[in-house]
Amino acid sequence: MSEYIVEMRHITKRFPGIVANDDISIGIRKGEIFAFLGENGAGKSTLMSMLFGMYEPDEGEILVRGEKVKLSSSNEAAALNIGMVHQHFKLVDNYTIAQNIILGIEPIKKIGGLIPYVDCKGAQEKIRELSKAYGLEVDPCQVVESVNVSIQQRVEILKMLYREAEILIFDEPTAVLTPQEIQYLLDIMVELRNKGKTIILITHKLEEIKRIADRCAILRRGKLVRVLNVAETSTQEMANLMVGREVVFEREKQPANFREVLLEVEDLTVRNEDKFDVVKNVSFSIRRGEIFAIAGVSGNGQIEIADAIAGLVKPQKGKIKLKGKDITAATIRRRTEEGMSYIPEDRQRLGVVLDFSLEDNLAIKKYYREPFSQKGILKREGFQKFAEELIEQYDIRSGQGAKTIIRSMSGGNQQKAIVAREISLESDLMIFVQPTRGLDIGAIENIQKQILRERDKGKAVLLISLELDEVMSLADTIGVIYNGQLQKISPAEELTTNEVGEYMMGVKS
Amino acid sequence: MKAKNQTTPNGLIGKMINALDDERLSQFAIPIVSIILTIIAASVLLLVLGKNPITAMNGFLRGSGFMMKPLYAGGQSMLTDFLSFLGILAPMLLAALGIIIGMKSGMFNIGMAGQMLAAGFIATVFVGYSGLNAYIAKPLVILVGITAGGLIGATIGFLKYRFNIHEVVSSIMFNYITSYIVAFFINTYYKDIITRSSRICSPASRLSITGIAWGSSKLTLPLGIILAIASVFLVKFLLDRTVIGFEMKAVGLNRDCAKYAGVNVGKSIVLAMALSGVFGGLAGVTYYVGYFNSIVPKELASLGYDSIAVALLGNISPIGAIFSSILITIFQKGSIYMSSTVGVPKEIASVITGILLLFSACGTYMRYLARRQRERLAEKAKKEGVQ
Ligand SMILES: Nc1ncnc2c1ncn2[C@@H]1O[C@H](COP(=O)(O)OP(=O)(O)OP(=O)(O)O)[C@@H](O)[C@H]1O
Ligand SMILES: [Mg+2]
Repeated sequence: MSEYIVEMRHITKRFPGIVANDDISIGIRKGEIFAFLGENGAGKSTLMSMLFGMYEPDEGEILVRGEKVKLSSSNEAAALNIGMVHQHFKLVDNYTIAQNIILGIEPIKKIGGLIPYVDCKGAQEKIRELSKAYGLEVDPCQVVESVNVSIQQRVEILKMLYREAEILIFDEPTAVLTPQEIQYLLDIMVELRNKGKTIILITHKLEEIKRIADRCAILRRGKLVRVLNVAETSTQEMANLMVGREVVFEREKQPANFREVLLEVEDLTVRNEDKFDVVKNVSFSIRRGEIFAIAGVSGNGQIEIADAIAGLVKPQKGKIKLKGKDITAATIRRRTEEGMSYIPEDRQRLGVVLDFSLEDNLAIKKYYREPFSQKGILKREGFQKFAEELIEQYDIRSGQGAKTIIRSMSGGNQQKAIVAREISLESDLMIFVQPTRGLDIGAIENIQKQILRERDKGKAVLLISLELDEVMSLADTIGVIYNGQLQKISPAEELTTNEVGEYMMGVKS
Repeated sequence: MKAKNQTTPNGLIGKMINALDDERLSQFAIPIVSIILTIIAASVLLLVLGKNPITAMNGFLRGSGFMMKPLYAGGQSMLTDFLSFLGILAPMLLAALGIIIGMKSGMFNIGMAGQMLAAGFIATVFVGYSGLNAYIAKPLVILVGITAGGLIGATIGFLKYRFNIHEVVSSIMFNYITSYIVAFFINTYYKDIITRSSRICSPASRLSITGIAWGSSKLTLPLGIILAIASVFLVKFLLDRTVIGFEMKAVGLNRDCAKYAGVNVGKSIVLAMALSGVFGGLAGVTYYVGYFNSIVPKELASLGYDSIAVALLGNISPIGAIFSSILITIFQKGSIYMSSTVGVPKEIASVITGILLLFSACGTYMRYLARRQRERLAEKAKKEGVQ
């Protein structure tokens, strides 16, 4: 027997225009937490997708428990007790949690030994047992679309455990979670390891690796740079190895220079589909040259505030003014033209048309204007030229440049494309929800610097982020939201991280 | 280490397998394989019925004017058959373009037949019975077709956008409404006592020029086919190169993102359905006031539904629709001659169309099988290489 439960030897995978994995050899031991670190587009998801049978390597071989295997579908991977939680979840929205978990391996019973039916009761029982054993609380009868991302993720984990997975792959599981949820998830992973499971974790967050991983492999542009022992390596070292240069964690911030008020939100109330007020009488204003951050635990109404300002939902009451003009009832197009950018939370549902090319997505807010079109006729050269500029400026990596279909790009590069598009609108007001979600540390550094530069140019920035670090290092003013209400608005330097945390939890008010 | 080369199987079958698995080639390979499989399946069916499949296939081609018939009635020739084929090809292609526009915008306009009927009927009544001369009548017929089809399409789109009524439901309702209203008017005012259809429209209004002598045969020149071919390029241009097309595709692929990007989604939906209806209307006038010259009450043209198959088989692309409409029209048009010479019911043509659609819908599965096969061959080659 080899010392490894999983061994990948000389794996190469090519996609049109790019070598996603280039001769990678790696061994993973049973019962360890093995992390993958690498820039956006380095090939982490691709490598793990091959272990999960989604793609087959062009060259090289995979050994599981010492035996050579050929994985040509995820069913074959599941048969070898390999499970994966993808970067973008793969759940059926209008099915219940239980139905999602048993999908594909439905337990069949027969009425009177003849007529087959799906044994939902039995499945629910088993799911309840599993949730209890691993601390993954869910209600199996709830419909997936009605629960939040952190529960959806639990469903994905339960799906693996239900299939008796021994090797669990997590692709950026914490990108969509709040700090508390992350804490919880990391504990569960440690717990799983202690019960003998092998965990593979892809993440961009060094502190997570530092906290729970045993070993870490670093990929850069498709190649394996090094496998290191986490305990013996500092985060700074890991960061430098990954990006290939010195990474600066501290942001240099010029003193603020506030000018006239740009955005005024007065008494805003937003009601959701269930006739419940998710935003209650919120008022605030943002000046030119100011970064106004809304901090809060997810689901407290911050996304709805952003959606209302951007015109995606109609407020129940209240007023929104941009440069003194009332835009409460304006169309989305008009708001864009008046000077508003918006990076939405859900990048794949709202932010891009997945089956459009990169250049079409980059121009999706400007296509009807020169130089993208003239008298209703598209000018393709305009699209291409604009896309190439942004690709260069924001280091958006893909196989076929401007013509790449966004769907085939790595998650982080999709995000970079959205950020690039929104900043390039040069709007006076920029609404950024989780702008650096899923980005590697190098790209985060880049984007955060860019945000600060926009502020110094006199733009007003509304930043909504679940990452307190990001809020604390960028914001000039912080508004803490709890339960649909702005608890506290105050200059950033007057608040400590701890205080913000307390307001967020509703402990202090 | 030569494993890379060995993954490429050789021979005709091997080439086919490669083409099916290839990103770009597969869009051509899948329809071709579907057609071959359909011909095989149809042949088996005919053999079971005790008929000679080759004669049957020849029958389809002869009936459509692609092959000489052994015998022609007076005034008939292969050319008359072929022109008549083009005459019915035109509405098929136009209707398919309407379906394509709908699908690109994320909507299924299953009401083609109703939009055709409405346009055909209005054109017949207002222009066909008017006695206007050809230079005014023909453009007017086209205009009526565009307007009538467009209005119905727009209404369906509006119902969808404003009241969230699914377009499939409302367009099927429109089919019935149109069919009964038209039948009522024909039976009450416009019925021809002998044929029990509507009275025929004036030759001046028809979108075909009849009675041209050529040798011993009398030809009917279908004008609709020119309209149809021009429309193919128009639709392609619309979808690929215009702002409207860009918006329609964005709405079709991701409505939420289109809205977020500032596209007026409602306007785009109504516009797309209106355009889809316009081509339905054009199909209607080339059908009822072109290929035919009267309307049978209470009957919806099955061509309106066949056009869905045409659009799908042609990979929802305007250029693809040219080829798929030719193919499906050969089966439909040639079915009468085929059935009379071979002695099977002409409905067999619809069965064949159905089989064709079935196979072309299995495109993804075919690709999957091809990939499987390719890997198996590669594996085998590798093993042999080791020995
Ligand atoms: N299905 C595909 N078709 C074409 N190219 C692809 C496909 N999947 C991935 N790629 C390309 O392969 C490269 C590696 O992508 P991958 O998703 O593995 O990156 P990653 O390391 O997971 O990045 P991220 O941190 O952004 O998620 C990218 O450049 C991507 O464009
Ligand atoms: Mg990834």
